[in-house]
Amino acid sequence: MNRFIECAGVGKIYPVKTESVEALRGIDFTCDSGDFVCLLGRSGCGKSTLLQLVAGLEEPTAGNIAVAGKTLDGPSPAAAIVFQDHGLFPWMTVRKNVEFNMKARGVAAGERTATAAQFIEMTGLTGFGDRYPHELSGGMRQRVGIARALTTGPRALLMDEPFGALDAQTRGKLQDELLSIWEKQRTTVLFVTHSIDEALLLADRILVFTPRPGRIAADIKVDLPRPRAPQSEAFSALARELRGLIGADRDFD
Amino acid sequence: MRLQRALGLLPLALLLLAWHLAVQAKVYPPVLLPPIAKVLAVFVDDLPTVVDHALSSIGRVIAGISCSFAVAVPLGLMIGRYRWLDLLTDWSIQIFRSVPPISLIPLAILFLGIGDKPAISLIFLSGLWPLLINTIFGVRGIERTLIKVARAARAAEFLVMKDIILPAALPAIFTGLRLAVGAGWLTVVTAEMIAVKSGLGYMILNAQLTFRSDLIIAGIIVIGAIGLLADQLVRLARSYVCRWQEGLTASPE
Repeated sequence: MNRFIECAGVGKIYPVKTESVEALRGIDFTCDSGDFVCLLGRSGCGKSTLLQLVAGLEEPTAGNIAVAGKTLDGPSPAAAIVFQDHGLFPWMTVRKNVEFNMKARGVAAGERTATAAQFIEMTGLTGFGDRYPHELSGGMRQRVGIARALTTGPRALLMDEPFGALDAQTRGKLQDELLSIWEKQRTTVLFVTHSIDEALLLADRILVFTPRPGRIAADIKVDLPRPRAPQSEAFSALARELRGLIGADRDFD
Repeated sequence: MRLQRALGLLPLALLLLAWHLAVQAKVYPPVLLPPIAKVLAVFVDDLPTVVDHALSSIGRVIAGISCSFAVAVPLGLMIGRYRWLDLLTDWSIQIFRSVPPISLIPLAILFLGIGDKPAISLIFLSGLWPLLINTIFGVRGIERTLIKVARAARAAEFLVMKDIILPAALPAIFTGLRLAVGAGWLTVVTAEMIAVKSGLGYMILNAQLTFRSDLIIAGIIVIGAIGLLADQLVRLARSYVCRWQEGLTASPE
């Protein structure tokens, strides 16, 4: 397997008025192509910051990030992002939203329409193409966000707590669908979450973050067979281990 | 609902009643305070005069506000988007917008003479500031995630302006347009009293010289009616252009 996302000595310091806040320090990891990697940690541990850095939306203050073999100097064309607050344009219909990433790349209108229709179907949005985002439920909106991200055939999907704002049922359904899309497309997925169960359900590998400054405390390989059963002994054992690593007590998730 | 709207007519009806009673009681001589019927007669006998003057006033406002729109919207989009342009223009905007356009009439006449030029220039100025400030405000209010989506999609600057910044700012731009049309209409009437020899402002000033108080009052009614109509038209245009907002804002305003 080739290394698809590489971070070497990545650090990020934000200036906040007179002081500065160190969000990340000494992040080293590589992620092979096709892997499903979760960044797990409490809020404020820098996992979302790392995703923004890998997305090329912000620059690291130290170290280097390469995606698809190229050092980043802005968003990589090989990656697409799904945001927690879905980031849909409220003035565009579902179809136009799904088409946007292609439009930004100068894909011709006819091809855009065809590709959009394909991904609208794949994400279960058939019949909603002419709706506006505010007419959809939270889960539906996130499907649109995922459909939009997939249209350019990205080799990596960067997902920033995409299901964090959804109710448990919708969340479970979208997790299943994401896995089936991932199994079909075999894109690399970098998935930020604060939920141990979510990470264990989805990931091949879990990077556990600890805060102040954000660091990778552990790199856990998840070898459980798919589809995964949260009731299983092995699952619970791993969950316990992760809970210990994050330093989470009962108050956590 | 329709009945509730009719409630808005009540103050106007009361005003008419008070007028009628004042005429009956001969509070002022009929030369100063004409009976309602005499003012209504103006709309029959002097209709061509009134329409002519109204049309020249409307024409000036359309010309002036169109210029304001053409300048303020692109400029406002750029000031809202680029920090350096904001720093460059902020103080100037705050200074010049505090100058009432009416106070520039003497200068406008000195530099531009008598006629349409000074009048339209002043309308342009009175519409410029509300449009500019609201456009900037609209751009500032855009959700940050949406800009990130565009950057992550590597959208070209022009596409970002056209598909994201402009639509995001449109509701605020229309608020600015309403204020601009209102300000322009106030300015045109005043400017016509001094700088030109046509228009409703000129008509009522001239009517004063000939003791035609019926014509003055008729003129004022027309000014008010056109002001109301123009405002309704802008609102209608807004609810059409921003129909994606339906159900998104708290009130349908």
